[in-house]
Order: sequence, then C-alpha cells, then structure tokens
Amino acid sequence: MTTAAFLCLLVLSIVGYVWNRQAASAIRNGGARLHSLTGFHGFYSLLMIFVPVVVLILLWLVLEGPVIDLVLKSGLSDRLDGLSTGETQLIVAEIKSIAGGSIFGTPEQWKLDAAERYNTLNVRSGQLLLVAVLAMSLALLFFSRRKVAAEFRARHGVERIVSGLMIFCSVVAVFVTIGIIASLMFETFRFFEKVSVAEFLFGTNWEPQIPLREDQVAAEGAFGWLPVMLGTLVITVVALLLAVPIGLMSAIYLNEFAPRRVRSIAKPFLEILAGVPTVVYGFFAILVVAPAIRSFGQGIGLDVSPNTALAAGSVMGIMLIPFISSFADDALSAVPQSLRDGALGLGATRAEMMTNVLFPAAIPGIVGGVLLAVSRAIGETMIVVMAAGLIARMTINPLDSVTTVTVQIVTLLIGDTSFDNPKTLAAFALGMMLFIVTLVINIFALRIVRKYREAYD
Amino acid sequence: MYDAPNLAESKVTQDNIKIAARKVQVYYDDNHAIKDVDVDILDNTVTAFIGPSGCGKSTFLRCINRMNDTIDICRVEGDILLDGQDIYDKRVDPVQLRAKVGMVFQKPNPFPKSIYDNVAYGPRIHGLARTKADLDEIVEKSLRRAALWNEAKDRLDQPGTGLSGGQQQRLCIARAVATAPEVLLMDEPCSALDPIATAQVEELIDELRQDYSVVIVTHSMQQAARVSQKTAFFHLGNLVEYGDTGTIFTNPEDERTESYITGRIG
Repeated sequence: MTTAAFLCLLVLSIVGYVWNRQAASAIRNGGARLHSLTGFHGFYSLLMIFVPVVVLILLWLVLEGPVIDLVLKSGLSDRLDGLSTGETQLIVAEIKSIAGGSIFGTPEQWKLDAAERYNTLNVRSGQLLLVAVLAMSLALLFFSRRKVAAEFRARHGVERIVSGLMIFCSVVAVFVTIGIIASLMFETFRFFEKVSVAEFLFGTNWEPQIPLREDQVAAEGAFGWLPVMLGTLVITVVALLLAVPIGLMSAIYLNEFAPRRVRSIAKPFLEILAGVPTVVYGFFAILVVAPAIRSFGQGIGLDVSPNTALAAGSVMGIMLIPFISSFADDALSAVPQSLRDGALGLGATRAEMMTNVLFPAAIPGIVGGVLLAVSRAIGETMIVVMAAGLIARMTINPLDSVTTVTVQIVTLLIGDTSFDNPKTLAAFALGMMLFIVTLVINIFALRIVRKYREAYD
Repeated sequence: MYDAPNLAESKVTQDNIKIAARKVQVYYDDNHAIKDVDVDILDNTVTAFIGPSGCGKSTFLRCINRMNDTIDICRVEGDILLDGQDIYDKRVDPVQLRAKVGMVFQKPNPFPKSIYDNVAYGPRIHGLARTKADLDEIVEKSLRRAALWNEAKDRLDQPGTGLSGGQQQRLCIARAVATAPEVLLMDEPCSALDPIATAQVEELIDELRQDYSVVIVTHSMQQAARVSQKTAFFHLGNLVEYGDTGTIFTNPEDERTESYITGRIG
C-alpha cells in the first residue's frame, strides 16, 4: 500500500508539472507576458504536491504502529486489565507474531481473534493512507493549477520551497550532532554517578576489569583516564613527527620544484595512500612495521615490546601523509602567482621565495591541515586496535606498549556488556573526553584558518 | 666583448647602450611568440614598449631578466647582452641577474609582510646591508625614491597589503629600487591605478631615469608619449619600429605603427 501511495504521489506530481507548464505556455501564447518561466510554474506544482504529501506519508508511517497498538489494546482492555506493562508487551508481541503467520503451540481463541483484527487494522490503515494521499495530492494539484496566471510569481514560490528544503537539510546535521552529544552526555553523567569526576580526570590508574556478575573474580577497578590519554598523545606525537615533515616536504616539492611529469605521477600515488582502508594499515603495522622495529631494537640491544607505540604511531603517520600534503599543497597553490613573481623578480632563489614569501602566506592553511590531522590521529581507531597494546601505562617511551582512548572504548564495549556498570559506562566518558579534545582542536584550527585567511588579498 | 659590427649599424654611441638584443626568438611550445627582435636599450633612458594585446611586448620584457625561465614551456633563442655580457650564458646565474635587473609588475604585489620588511626583502636576501642601521637607511632611501616615505614613515611596521592601490605600486617600486638594480623593468605598472596614482608613478619613472635604464610596457600611448624618450612598437611578435618617442608618434615610418597610434589596429 505504501508503494502504491508513493507511485500515486509520483504520478500526480508529474501530472501537476506538465499541467501547470502547459497552462503557463497557453497564457504566454495568448500574448501575455509571464512573470516566471513556464518551467517554474511546472516545478511550483510539482513541489507543492510532492513535499507536503511526502511529509504526510512519513508521518503516517511513523505514527501508524503506535496508533494500531493503542486500538488493539483498547479492544482487549478486559483481558489486559491489571497486567504489568511487561506482560502487556509480551501479549501484544505474541498477537503480532500470530498475525505474521508464525504460531507457536495452541494460542487461546481471543488471541487469534485479536491477531485477525490486527491484520484488518493494518490493511485498513494502508487503504486509508492511499485515500489520504490521493485526496491531498489531488487537492494540491487543483490548488496549484488555479494559481497559474501571468502575474503569478511561481519562481518565488519555487525558491521559497527549495530554500526551505535546504534549511531543513542543514538543520538535520545540526540536530544529529546535538543528538550524539546528548546521548554521550547522558551516559557520561550516569558514569560519574558511579565514579567520581576527580578520580576519572586525575587518576593515573586504568584497570576497568571489574566483576560483571556477583560470582566473578576480578579486581576492584580503577578509572583514571590519564594513562589512556597519554597513550593516545604518544601515538599522535609519533604519527605527527613522521607525517608533518614528510607531508610538508612532499607538498613543497610537488607544488614548486617538481617537473610536471613527476607531479602527474607522484600526486595520484599520494591519493592512493589516502584511499587505503585503515584496517589495511593495521595489517601493515602488525605484520611488517612492528616486527621490523622489534628485531632492529633487539639488534642494538634495546628492550622493545611487541606492540610498540612507535609501530602504531608511524603507520598512522603514513596514513596522515596524504592528508597533510594535500592541505599544504592547496594552501601553497592558493598563494597568488604574483607573489612568486614578485619574489623571483627581486632576485630571490626558489628556496628563498619558498621560505620567506610562500610559506608565511600559506601557513594558515598548513596549520589548519596539521591540526585537523591531529584530531584525526586522536580519533583513529582501527590501526591502534590492531597494532597498539591493551594495558594502560603511564609512559612516554615510544618503544613501550601503550593503549589509546579509542582502543579502550572498543574493548570496553565488546563482548559481555551491561549498561548499568561503570565498566561499560566508562566507554561513554572516554568518548566524551575524546569528543571534547578533538572539538577544541577543531575550533582552534578553524580560528587560525579564519584569522589569517585573507592575509595576502 | 659583444658583436661590434652589429652595433655599429645602430645610431647610438656604444658606451650608452645598456641592453642589446639580437635575433631574439621566444617560443611557448610550438607557438612562436617573439620573432627576430633586435633592439638597443640605452642607459638613463625610459624606453616604452607599445603594441596591441598579445603582441609579445610583456614576453620580451620578461626575457630581459629571465623571468621566462620560470615558465616550463617557454624557450628563448638569440642573444641578449647586458653591459656586453650575454645574460643567457650558462655561467650567468638568473638570481644575480634579477638583482641587477629589477621588475615591477602589472598588479601591485606587496608581500603579506610589513612595509619595512617588503622594502628590506631584497637587501636582506642579497646581503646588501651589514648592520640594522644600514638597512634602515636603504629602506628610507628607497621609500623616498618611490615618493612613499612621507605617507609610510609612521606605519613601517604595518602590513604592506593595507596600503591603497597606488601606494602599493609605489611600495613595489621602492622594493625593486632597494636592491640597487641597474635596469628597471615595468610591466604596465599603472594599469591597476587611478589617474592620480598614475600621475605620481609617471613622475617617479621620470626621476628614476637619473640612475637607471627604465623599460616600461604600456597600453596607454599617452603614457608612452609622456614618460619615454625611446619607443618600440611590437606587432604580432615582431618589433615593427623602434626610435625616438617623438618621431614614432609624429612621423612613423611603418604603416602598421601609424595605424596603431591612430587607433586603426589594436
């Protein structure tokens, strides 16, 4: 029925488009000068029918289920009186599964009747929807047809509807963000009811392995986020130490010094690097980089753990190279040619031009790119899940095994979880902190970019 | 040092010639942009290059300080001698050449730095000043030469991009002058300026002639007539006519020159 309703709507919208368009052309052919092009008259009708009716269908689909449930329950009020919500839900679910055709055992007759009624209600609802869609579409069709006139401002109408749609789309993004933050905050507050804020923020111990059931044997649990965050920072710093110089140098070379042929080969390779899935980087880290670092470290007599921060960080750095180099490349390309000419015309060498003129002019874009890379490195999950360790240690030695915020979130939420103990809720608190840290960095990055953006105009 | 018989043909005295170009060809890939250009540019003289758009006058100007080197597809043939030395010789470093042959561009292009740093840029990269006081002196002298000192002296630490268009162009001239060049190339220096700023820059060009050989590309024939002593007319990559400005504008030899200055081709 829903499909039929959608088909009806589609057909009637197109009919509206054609009809209004023809009506407008007829007026124009009659010698009158139209305010709007005929196409706008057509689109006005199309949008006037399509948008409200789609909203109607969506609302219907959302509200249909609860309304039918209510009707069903009110029909059974004598049977359901005095039962708890859980029992009621159980009975309703049973009726629905009978209605769906899967019958277990021999249900009572009243349940079979209710199931039949449920099915009829559903069919009724579908028919009603179809009728409503038809009626509304036709009403709107005639309404917009009557509007067609030489001086009718169809273009303004279309523009208003389209701008409304655009506002709606941007509001969706805002609301989704707010929703995510709200859900994070809600669970975080529940976490802080069980663990004190001070312990979480300033604690230097992270041992979330607390018993889930009474009979489990486990440690008491400690929720200090500092060692976890420190691990994230160590890996991020390693990644940036690798990615920033390589990314910047390659951008400078490709932008300023490379012959066109080299550029046309090297640039796509950098882009391929950007397209490698992070899970593949993860393989690379555990199978190639980590063993190499370990055997090299042992060769020179160092004690290297199998899951080093260095391995995870350097592979993450490789992942960030194309990110930084493409940002820096864009920033350098955006510097006007006239500045390059000006510097060269004064007898500057290319290196002098680069360091004294281009680089300062491009620095906001470059810094913005680096800061965005930082927030990506902090939030990166797959590589560290595969290549970093699980035990939180207060260490800044990159040859040690560290864990990161994202790794901990993953391990806390995998497997046997229940949402009323601090172990699971800690994941949300960590997520919240991660969110705050990356948000601060992003705001900082945007500030810098915005502040210096027009420096050379 | 250079090709004496060639120069004997020209009517100017030898010690006065700053730049001598012989059979210069410029190609952009397969496009022959400059064809067989011979010209002698004098010291302490303003030489104007005029001609319709796309005739190659800017291209030729950019040959004189090898700015065309920065364009991959550009190829220059023939000889251009500066004080008798071939500037396209392998031993010549284009960076040092450009310090001797300064350039001012069509659009004012101050660096996004302070006014002081803009002017001090050239002296700094070429090591012209030994002390801070030296550098201060060079900056002041250059800004005075460019008639910008009075307007800029109280705001030397403010960004050069904050100046008005005419002031920016004079800043660029000061910047070019600060490296103590021998030749100053100007590629339509007034095309982005209003009439008042144009008048100021033109006056400045006339003063600069005391110390430099100035070559100016311009679309305005009035400007060429006002500021230059010598004029060269380019058409479709050829140097059609070269001579005293007065002669070119009042009594041109070539038909094409006459058509252009009377406005029939352009």
